[in-house]
Amino acid sequence: MSDRPQLAIDGLTGGYGDIVVLSGFTATVDPGSTACVAGRNGVGKTTLLRLVTGALAPVAGRVRLGDAEITHAPRHRRLRLGMGYAPQENVVFDDLTVLENLTLAAADRSLDRYDELLDAFPRIGERLSQRAGTLSGGEKKILSFCRALAEATELVVLDEPSEGVQPENIALMTGIIEAEKAKGRSFLIVEQNLGLIEVVADAVHLLDHGECIYSAPAGADVRGELSRRMRL
Amino acid sequence: MELIATHGLNFLYAFATLALVVLGLAVVFGLLGVMNMAHGEFVMIGAYSALAVQQAGLPFLFAIPAAIAVCVVIGWLVEWGLVRHLYKRPFDTLLATWGLAILMREVVEAIFGREYQSVDQVLPGTFSLAGVEYPAYRVVLMGIIAVLFGALFAWYQRSNAGARVKAMVQNPALAAAMGIDTERLARWTFVFGVTTAGLAGVLLSPLVRVEPFMGLDYLLSSFFILVVGGLGSLEGLIVGSGVIGGTDIFLSALFDKTSGYLGVLTISIVFLWLRPNGIVSRL
Amino acid sequence: MALSLGYSAAIVVALAAVPFAWGSFTAFQLGLYLIYGIAAQGVALCWGRAGFLPLGQALFFGIGAYIVGAALKTGAGWAAFAPAIIAACVLPALLAGLVGLLVFNRQIGSGPYFSLITLALAMLGFQLANALDWLTGGFNGMTGIPGLPGIDPFGSYYFVIVAALVISTAVLALVASSPFGQLLSAVRDNEERLQFFGFATHRLKAASFAIAGAVAGLAGALYAPHQGIVTPQTVGFLLSAELVIWTAVGGRFGLLGPVAGAVLIGFMASGLRNSFAYWEIAIALVFIVVVLRLPAGLGGLAAGLLGRFVPARSQLVRERPQLVERSPDAGNCDLRFDAVHVRMGTVEILNGLEFTVDQPGVHCIIGPNGAGKTSALNALTGRLPVAHGDIVWRGRSLANTRPYLAARHRIGRKFQVPSVFADLSVGQNLDIALWSGRLAWFDYLSPAPFGWRTGALDDLRDRFGFLADETRRAGELSVGERQMLDFSMTMLAEPHLVLLDEPCAGLSPAETGAMIEAIAAISADTGLVTIIVEHDMAVVERLADRVIVMHQGEVLTAGAMDEVRADQRVQAVYAGGTK
Repeated sequence: MSDRPQLAIDGLTGGYGDIVVLSGFTATVDPGSTACVAGRNGVGKTTLLRLVTGALAPVAGRVRLGDAEITHAPRHRRLRLGMGYAPQENVVFDDLTVLENLTLAAADRSLDRYDELLDAFPRIGERLSQRAGTLSGGEKKILSFCRALAEATELVVLDEPSEGVQPENIALMTGIIEAEKAKGRSFLIVEQNLGLIEVVADAVHLLDHGECIYSAPAGADVRGELSRRMRL
Repeated sequence: MELIATHGLNFLYAFATLALVVLGLAVVFGLLGVMNMAHGEFVMIGAYSALAVQQAGLPFLFAIPAAIAVCVVIGWLVEWGLVRHLYKRPFDTLLATWGLAILMREVVEAIFGREYQSVDQVLPGTFSLAGVEYPAYRVVLMGIIAVLFGALFAWYQRSNAGARVKAMVQNPALAAAMGIDTERLARWTFVFGVTTAGLAGVLLSPLVRVEPFMGLDYLLSSFFILVVGGLGSLEGLIVGSGVIGGTDIFLSALFDKTSGYLGVLTISIVFLWLRPNGIVSRL
Repeated sequence: MALSLGYSAAIVVALAAVPFAWGSFTAFQLGLYLIYGIAAQGVALCWGRAGFLPLGQALFFGIGAYIVGAALKTGAGWAAFAPAIIAACVLPALLAGLVGLLVFNRQIGSGPYFSLITLALAMLGFQLANALDWLTGGFNGMTGIPGLPGIDPFGSYYFVIVAALVISTAVLALVASSPFGQLLSAVRDNEERLQFFGFATHRLKAASFAIAGAVAGLAGALYAPHQGIVTPQTVGFLLSAELVIWTAVGGRFGLLGPVAGAVLIGFMASGLRNSFAYWEIAIALVFIVVVLRLPAGLGGLAAGLLGRFVPARSQLVRERPQLVERSPDAGNCDLRFDAVHVRMGTVEILNGLEFTVDQPGVHCIIGPNGAGKTSALNALTGRLPVAHGDIVWRGRSLANTRPYLAARHRIGRKFQVPSVFADLSVGQNLDIALWSGRLAWFDYLSPAPFGWRTGALDDLRDRFGFLADETRRAGELSVGERQMLDFSMTMLAEPHLVLLDEPCAGLSPAETGAMIEAIAAISADTGLVTIIVEHDMAVVERLADRVIVMHQGEVLTAGAMDEVRADQRVQAVYAGGTK
């Protein structure tokens, strides 16, 4: 494994129109590790992921994926460079079948890469020919999670993967993330679920008002810190 | 009985040709949200391609590849030079494509002249259908349109490209995040839409007057169909073509052509007033 | 646009001198272009001012021409002309107004539907003019229309046209500078926001389209005795298209631009059409370029050049001498959500939402993303259709209402992203908020509303100092200032129920403090019901008398901040699966 980080974010700043939602965010994710970003709603977490995945153009700062500078790369190119992304909302195409959702981006429409994932989540595999709109909210999140994982060769970006997902499936997700980390893949995860953060995170960044107010390595008292700062 | 059969066939014919003409606008406006005011002019370009092929002394069938080639080139250039910059500014797209429509008419007028011209009859005979002698070319045309729509429907339902288009329409952000080059896909969708309009122009050319202003009627009837049928689905296109074609044929037969036009315009205004999303509403 | 009286007089004198300087034929030609220019002024009112584009304006022009033509052909001279010219203005206005009301009823913005319907109407008019031989003379047209008695079409009629131009310009200038004109600018700028101030924007648009129809009819009325013939072409598509081109090229934001465009292109066409084969193509290209690169047309270009030499008159600082108050209309403050279901596609956004508000004060709605907080406000103000259930405000059902009706029930709304009229000045923004619910029908064309002020305005100016500079363009304000302007406007309408969606989003800590203080003070002074959707717990803590927690389209719990905070379910929702 080389010593360069898998993802390097440097001074990333951006927002909507002239409203700056995220300012000066800096972090790195090493190969085979996971960075989690937490914070209240509306503090810029999703904006961070939108900037990293190219849905939003940054005002300042840089993003590197491996050796490639991708700050302004078009979204579809980031996937080819090995970045997969599961957004928080509107995670699947409701009018397409589950199979189409999984294989849309692949040239060959094969399910080979999904073998392990479909073993873990048999509910998805049983519903391949169904419209994705008929799945429950949690199942859609799992579908989106599987897709992002299968598409990404280097870095998986997940926006609140556990939201609306049943605890036993969260546990499965957690296990899969751990296993993939061991194979050298990296994760950038926005999450509010402390249970998941505590297991998978190698570093935690806490956002408030668009700025990173707290960064900690794994093992710090993340739970205490977050609970205190989230005021709930 | 014969009268009913004739009217029935006339309705089917109007229905089929309208569906063919509206297809391009339904793709461009329904899927991309671009009201292409030059839609009818692409139909006109198709008809003039047939005319040019005839003037060059070549058989009618050559007009099809000719029109496709011309429309692909023009459509690509228009998307690249004009429409692409305006996807989030629908009002400016309307204006720009309207200017384009004027330009296309004037260029065609400068080349071919303003007067009415005609493309020679293809298959001049008649077929006997349901006890009625019906022009052969019309029958063949209806068959071609049916096959075309069947093939298109199957392709759109089954192919990966169809799925990608659906994905782009439903959620462009997610589609792009999944590695789909939505800009490129939108461009080819636009080109596809205007090319079907050109194809419609070729197929209709032996039956209509060919003149630089012929496109306006096609734009307006396509627009009426989309207003009544609703955007974004093949069902809406079919239902809208049926309602508009049926109203037009019925009133025209009962009174005159102007009444038919008045009827479809009134229906469209009533729809905009009370049910702006059309019959097959996806919202 | 804001040409001084001196400039205008100079232009009129120059126009009047044309027959003497260049002869009567040139004046005859110019007269025709001026007639077209009058019709184009109406297009500019719709397009440049209100932001929607009529593509079939020749219909109204043609109707006016046929009416006056038919009247003059009776041989009754002035006795026929006088009522005919009135009919030539009124009938097109009624038709345009009706079409506008129907088509704009459920269309917001400048979508293509209206333009295409007007285009279709012009095509229909063309067909009718061709078909109705007995009325219009059919394809060959209505011929042999006599001139006005005692007025030579090739001579003194030119001065009639100039007089008509002066009148139409004066009337349209009055419209443009009235509250109605300012509201039209607001429609173009941000139609939806205007609806939330209680203005039925579809009626405003229909009214402006009716005025444009009347102006086109007037131009048509002048056309018939000028040309002596009216053909179906006068109703048709080509003239409609040319009216738009002249307006675009001349400049659609003023009243003289369209006339200048018609005159300029008219003379160029008469000189070049026969000698330069590609003239029409050139015009089409010019039009595309203008649309894409030069929205203000040549008029805008000229004004820009002029502005370099003549400094623009600084906008007057508005005096606001007249104190107006809105009827207090003290009612109860009962708001009830009764098992409200809202769906979007297959997704259930509100899932039997149920809560009541019966006390004045600040009620905060909190909850994770996607809980349906903003959707609840949208359902209440008619922005989202309610599938099941009911929303009742003061005993009246508001389910599936429309935004302007909700505003008329004294419900004020501020969106999360500040929504102001960016092209208008701060003062004009404040005007529109002050006019909310206060404009009587006669006020729309009166200058008096520009002088209005209220006690609340004075208070807000004290609180937010930047409001004092009324000449600044709202689009140039900082985000925080725009938030405060938006908030001030919402409050100036003096709602009894005010809905604030994340009022502190994008504000600096200092601005957040000022905003919290303003909300708390106004809420305490006026005793209104305030509902705030908020993520920032610090804001909630400071303001909330009561907290409503939403989750997945339902109310999870409601109560005082401390109670809510202690609730295990709330903690679970906020901290994910932690137990």
